[in-house]
Parts: sequence; structure tokens; C-alpha cells
Amino acid sequence: MEKSDSERLGVIKFSNVGLRYGDGPEILKNISFSIKPGSFHFLTGPSGAGKTSLLRLLLLSLKPTSGEMTMFGEDVATLKRERLLELRRHIGIVFQEFRLLDHLNTFENVALPLRVLGQSEDEYKENVIELLDWVGLGKKMDAHPPLLSGGEKQRAAIARAVIARPQILLADEPTGNVDPVLSERLLHLFAELNRMGTTIIIATHELNMIEKFSYPHLQLSENGELING
Amino acid sequence: MADFTKETNKPAPIVPAQSISGRTLVLLIAIMTFLSSITLGAVILIQKSAIAWSHDVGREVTIQIRPVEGEMMDANLRLAESIAEATKGVASARALTIEESEELLKPWLGEDLDLTELNIPRLVIVKLSDPLNADLEKLKSELKIIKGASLDLHDAWRTKLNSMAGTIVFTGIIGLALILLATSLAIIFATRGTMAQNREIVDVLHFIGASNRFIAGEFQSRFLKIGFRGAIIGSILAIIFFTILGMLSSNIFPDIPTEQLSILFGTFSLGIDGIIAILLLAPIIAGLTAITSRITVRRFLSQIIW
Repeated sequence: MEKSDSERLGVIKFSNVGLRYGDGPEILKNISFSIKPGSFHFLTGPSGAGKTSLLRLLLLSLKPTSGEMTMFGEDVATLKRERLLELRRHIGIVFQEFRLLDHLNTFENVALPLRVLGQSEDEYKENVIELLDWVGLGKKMDAHPPLLSGGEKQRAAIARAVIARPQILLADEPTGNVDPVLSERLLHLFAELNRMGTTIIIATHELNMIEKFSYPHLQLSENGELING
Repeated sequence: MADFTKETNKPAPIVPAQSISGRTLVLLIAIMTFLSSITLGAVILIQKSAIAWSHDVGREVTIQIRPVEGEMMDANLRLAESIAEATKGVASARALTIEESEELLKPWLGEDLDLTELNIPRLVIVKLSDPLNADLEKLKSELKIIKGASLDLHDAWRTKLNSMAGTIVFTGIIGLALILLATSLAIIFATRGTMAQNREIVDVLHFIGASNRFIAGEFQSRFLKIGFRGAIIGSILAIIFFTILGMLSSNIFPDIPTEQLSILFGTFSLGIDGIIAILLLAPIIAGLTAITSRITVRRFLSQIIW
């Protein structure tokens, strides 16, 4: 991205954003907030409140059905398809269900965003190995996802989300499938990434984690409205 | 540093080979290529035979002398030979003997033919050294002194032959086009099935920012390999088919001498140019597979994003 773009990176702004699927009821209503670059937010709310839908909006995989939403300074309503895919390269995502590709080993899964950027293995090999060591998967590089534990898959998914140094990292219940000890380790990992400048938004319903890490949080009500933002 | 001893610089394919119904598609493309090659080969054989026939017929004219009462057939045959040989552009002229006439009529009239009992017209075969400049009008005019003589330039045969060959070639080309169209449709259905089967990979690639071009390229490279494999198998089988057909051609019509068979139908041999044409069909079909799958993938991708 150009320098002028990088100044805008990380900026997320929602103004009265609403979302509905087809002709169904409105899942998210009048959501307004803005997120500064380099910040860390939890996204909370009861099950069915629309946390995952809000993350999908932030990942640019859904368009708001009402209101105005800007990402990196650009109005998403007017984004062309190719530009949208370009912007997505600045957003990392960790899915609750990991979504690793089973036919690729850990190394290849983590390297995928760099392959998409057109880098050769010679170019990215060292970085991927370093990152896998950092997340504690240095000895699992050749293992395929079905042979990894839940925690290992989660760390591989996090590594894949951050390998291309995204400006924004989104995570959907990243601690939902792991034990409390690992859950805390993962949050320390996110905190470390945040210290390095990545804007982080984590959707979670684990209140004890939110209290422990005392980052600001966006709270959705049962009917999809933002209570605290 | 991790114990990571990955030596190869060739990463695993993003679209796994086994996720595409590879064998079925290879078989389908092989069959389609075989059918295309057979059609193309048949068109080539017919066209070659027609050209050869037209060429042979064009280098020859026939003087026919009908029996006329009071005329000496042998004397007239010799006179016709000498008139023909004296004509500009004529290489040679030779009257067919009774035995040769019998041989010519055997396939149609049977083995036990005795022409001595029949009063049949006799033929003088006139070979032309220069068909374009042969003075056939003069020959025709001079033959008028022989009662019952006429000159056959074989024009009607040539016209009919060219027309028949043209029709067969046109039909073959239409058949070839339809086979290629059917191949494209089969590839479109196979690609759609593959995309649905690999939706998870497509979604993950989209979420990490892969462009449609990148994703289409990943699928296209898989389909190109499958297309090549199928097309090469189909082409090789077609060449083997034509080779065996050429070897067996003399046994297909055992009652007809090989020479006459080859005059009528050619040699059943494709020749180097025919083999090259069939081999060229392989990359065309592989390319068709890749392009069709790419277009289908791009269309699929444009429908699923936003």
C-alpha cells in the first residue's frame, strides 16, 4: 500500500450499520463505532447476538444492508471486487473452526497467504519457520491438520492469519476449543501481536478472559444492538 | 530453529489432485479425443484419397471404341493409339488387351467371364505428360475418323468425386465441432462439480485475499494436466487404431485386389501429416479443457463473492 493508505490502515468506522440476511430479520441494528489503528478490542455478546456476522462484515465477506461502513478509509459499499480482495490481504482472520486445509501440512497452511501474494517458497520459507517456532509448532511443520490437537490447530490458524503481517487481525472465539491454560497463552500471543502494531478484534464470550486482559470491548445485545462501543 | 528438512522448492498443489474427479475426467477426455481423432483421421483419409484420385484421373483420359459393324477393332485400336501419341501433351497411349478388360470387369461381372462371347467396347488408356497443356480438343476432333470412337475426359467422375469428398469432409468437420462442443460441456459440468466439492478451499483462499485470477489459475493448472493426460491417451489410441486399420485394410475386402482397393479408398494410411494433425489435436483439447475450466471457475467465483 502507498504511504497515504498506510496512514489510514487499521481505521474501521461503522455509522448506523445494519445487516440482514435476505428477507430475514435484522441481525445487526444501528451499529456505530470506530476503531483506531493498533488498538485491541474484545467483541462480546450472548450467543446469537451477531458477533460472527459483525466479524464477517469486518472481513468484507458481507456488505451492510444499511448505514455506512468504511475500512482503511474506503466506503465498502462502493468497493469493486478486485479492490475488496486487495483489502482483504490486510486483514487476518482466525476462524472458530480453524478452517485449515487438510491436504496441506502445517508449514504449507501457514505459508498460504504468502503464496497467494506470489512469493516463492525460497522467499517465505525462513519467515514461516520462524513464526511456527514462535507459536510453538516448530516440530509440527510436516504434520497435516487431522493429526494436530485442537490447540495446535488454533495456533496454526493464528500463524496463518498473521504471516502476511495484516494490519487488522480478527479472531472468532479463538479460545473456544482449548483448555484455560492454552487459552491464556493464546491471548498473550494476541497481546504480543498487538504490541507489534496489529489492530486486534477478538469475538469471545469468555468474560473471565475479558476481565483478565482489560482491553476495551464492543458489546452486542441479544437483539443485535451495540450496548458498549 | 526447527528440525525442518524440506528440500523441495515445489510446494504442494493448493487444489489437491484427488479432489478433482481426475480418472473419470481423464477417461472422458481420452474418449472425446479418440472420437475427434477418428473423425479428423477419416476426413484426412477421404480428402487424401479424393486428391489422389482426382490427380490420377486428371492425368489420364480414355478413348472408348464401340464395336461397329464392318469396322476392324484391332486396326482402330492401333489407329487411336497413334493419333493419341501424336497429340501434344500426351505421354503414352495403350489399348487394353481383352484379358485386361476381363480383369477390369471381373469384380462386377464375376470370375467366369468370357469376353469373346460379348461385343463390348474397347479402351485405349491415354496418359498425359502435361494435363494442363494437352491438346485434347485436337485429339477429340481427330478421333472422329474412327467410327464408334469417343473421348472420355473423366470430368463427370471428377466432379462427382470432388462433390462427394467435399460433403464428407464438411460433415466430418461438423462432427468434429460437435464433439469438441460436447467435450466443453462435459468439462463445464465437471468443473462445476469440482468447485462445489472444493468450496472450502475456495472460501479459505478468498478470506486470505486470493484474487479470482489466482484461484482460477490453481484450478486451471489441475485441469490442464488432466486435459493433457486424457488428450494424449486418446490421440495415441487413435493413431494405433489407424495403424491397425492400415495393416488390416487388405483383409477387410478380401475379394477386391489391394491395388483396386487403394484406388477406391486410398491406402488407409494417415501419413506423417495425418499423424501430426492428430497429435496437434491433443494440445488443442488440453487447451480447450484449461480454458473452459478457467472460464467456468471465474464465473463461479464471480457469483459467490458479495
